[in-house]
Amino acid sequence: MPELSYREAVRDALSTAMRQDDGVFIMGEDIAEMGGSMGVTAGMLDEFGPERVRNTPISEMALAGTAIGAAMQGMRPVAEIMYEDFMTLAAEQVVNQAAKLRYMSGGQLTVPVVFRTQGGAGWSPGAQHAQQLEAWFVHIPGLKVVFASTPEDVRGLLWSSIYDDNPVVFFEHRTLYGIKGDVPEKIEPIPIGKARVHREGEDVTVVATGRLVHESLAAAEEAEKQGVSVEVVDPRTLQPLDEETIVASVKKTNRAVIAHEAVTRMGFGAEVVSVIQYQAFDWLDAPVERVGAKFAPLPFAPVMEQFVVPHKADVLAAIMRTVGRGD
Amino acid sequence: MATEVKLPRLGQGMESGTIVRWLKSEGEQVAKGEPLYELDTDKVTQEVEAEASGVLLKIAVPEGEVEVGRTIAFIGAEGEPVAVEAPAPAPAAPKEEEPVETARAPEREQQSVTNGRVKASPLARRLARERGIDLASVRGTGPEGRIVAEDVERAEVQPVRAPVAAAPSGEVASEPLSNVRKTIARRLTEAWTVPAFTLTVSADMTRANELVARRRELEPDVRVTVTDLLTRVCAQALVRHPGMNVQYTDDALLRFPNANVGIAVAAPQGLVVPVVHNAEQLTLSQIAHVRGDIVSRARDAKLRAEDIEGGTFTISNLGMFDVDQFVAVLNPPQASILAVGAAREQVVPRDGELFVVPLMTMTLTCDHRAVDGATGAEFLKTIKTFLEDPGLAL
Repeated sequence: MPELSYREAVRDALSTAMRQDDGVFIMGEDIAEMGGSMGVTAGMLDEFGPERVRNTPISEMALAGTAIGAAMQGMRPVAEIMYEDFMTLAAEQVVNQAAKLRYMSGGQLTVPVVFRTQGGAGWSPGAQHAQQLEAWFVHIPGLKVVFASTPEDVRGLLWSSIYDDNPVVFFEHRTLYGIKGDVPEKIEPIPIGKARVHREGEDVTVVATGRLVHESLAAAEEAEKQGVSVEVVDPRTLQPLDEETIVASVKKTNRAVIAHEAVTRMGFGAEVVSVIQYQAFDWLDAPVERVGAKFAPLPFAPVMEQFVVPHKADVLAAIMRTVGRGD
Repeated sequence: MATEVKLPRLGQGMESGTIVRWLKSEGEQVAKGEPLYELDTDKVTQEVEAEASGVLLKIAVPEGEVEVGRTIAFIGAEGEPVAVEAPAPAPAAPKEEEPVETARAPEREQQSVTNGRVKASPLARRLARERGIDLASVRGTGPEGRIVAEDVERAEVQPVRAPVAAAPSGEVASEPLSNVRKTIARRLTEAWTVPAFTLTVSADMTRANELVARRRELEPDVRVTVTDLLTRVCAQALVRHPGMNVQYTDDALLRFPNANVGIAVAAPQGLVVPVVHNAEQLTLSQIAHVRGDIVSRARDAKLRAEDIEGGTFTISNLGMFDVDQFVAVLNPPQASILAVGAAREQVVPRDGELFVVPLMTMTLTCDHRAVDGATGAEFLKTIKTFLEDPGLAL
């Protein structure tokens, strides 16, 4: 099995799709010569030329709208929104157009567009360049929302997103671009809407997304040493959500922790808690815990940034509270 | 004209009832079918629904014992006059509630109980419900004294109740009899006058236990118990031995077409025997489902009159309390009752070899006026055969 970084895995999915399919192209701010602000598309201009690796003006609304238009015309564009904070500028097109057109045209139109974007704390980009805004988009009927946490998952899920006939908002996490992992020789599409159980356990289920998958796996190791067996589930697709896998896991362990980097309040985790309490009520032996960022803008100061976002220790503390061994 | 609310007759033989409390107050709107008051009869405590919609104009009997047919309240239009002299409640038992409350007080002082509500996780609640464990008797070890699943598991292993706070030394506590207690006393005294005989048999429960375990594996949500299997087995045996499914009256022997199997339940307010009706027609899972429902309602004092009427046979299982075997007193007017002990590993010689098998000892008590010894023995033999080879009872 080859080993790829998360960044290379994204690029591999894009390039492979573009090689086999003329309808796939990418566009975004500084993605061509510069290779994107995170270097994901580096080298792609040389292979595919400026027609298919398109730099756009600094207008997220314009670039999102253009991508939607191309998708309606039968292309499969992948638009990169440099920071997910800037999804707020593209929101009109994504929320009011992309999400609605198939429905409002009675199925005459499809919008097979992917909005790739990235965010996350970890290198002090400040309050406007590191938010985790997935909760904004999982709230919109008509959008699919993906948030992959490993090289294998990001490649297989991006592939499925490109070939999905519906608009997909595809979140990547900045601090994951460098992590490496084995991937299958040939790209294997990963179905949208299917969670991954990263680690099996008996006592507590941790449902984690993005960076927190890795923090949770580390917390699980630690908990194991203290005699608590933890199952870690990554939904991978936030919308649609694989409720079945999550509920089955909680029915087995009777306890749950939801962990994401986004602020806890009104976050994606709240929906997961609701699913669990409703479908597994009689199996719960402790209140469901949530782990997320404090309800504050991300501070610029590195120490303060790290204080606001959750880490392994926060997940571990939540795990221990569910088994009655918290502080 | 305002509608008079009269004390209804909720079951055969009901002459009076005790109003525990009103669920609506005077002047409040009431819809037909809404629970209006709580009534304690000699069999159950239940909520009684309003038979008319309107404003609850007047509560004539706030609490206490009332004979059937007596007007206890008026429902009508706002401001409508009520032309009655409100009859004073019968003086017999107006204080019924208070002493009962006092008697329960020590239980409430345990951990995990706040304002009368037991703090327990949903899983702990489900386990307790399924296993027939009273959460009020379980000590919670979770955060803030919450009862968690582990506590219920532990309670099941050692079913030793926490000692109820003792009365001050030297004083005898006098507790007025509840209606349920009075009924138990009256009926069992009546049973004592019946000429009864007992028969005892032991059954090898190896295959029965396997069946129960397998059913739990297949249907973890239903959680079949040995009592369910016993219910099924007894119902089938009653069908095969119609001579057992009878009742003695002074001028006739009543023969019943269906096996309505009662299950003795130790409810907080005392012994009650909710009935699994037409048990001969129910599958094991259906029985488990019905049993789960009536037993949990028995423990919550939420049984309705129809839940405890019409029984033709009773099972009293004290196996969970580690009782080896015992003799049950008849549950009149029923003609027989089966007392079931715990299944224990015992060495049994068979064809010159020794085997260790789980043996369960059962004692059948029969009303000799209705049933002869041989009839009872044949019936008991069938139960033993069915338990040892449960496939035969399916």
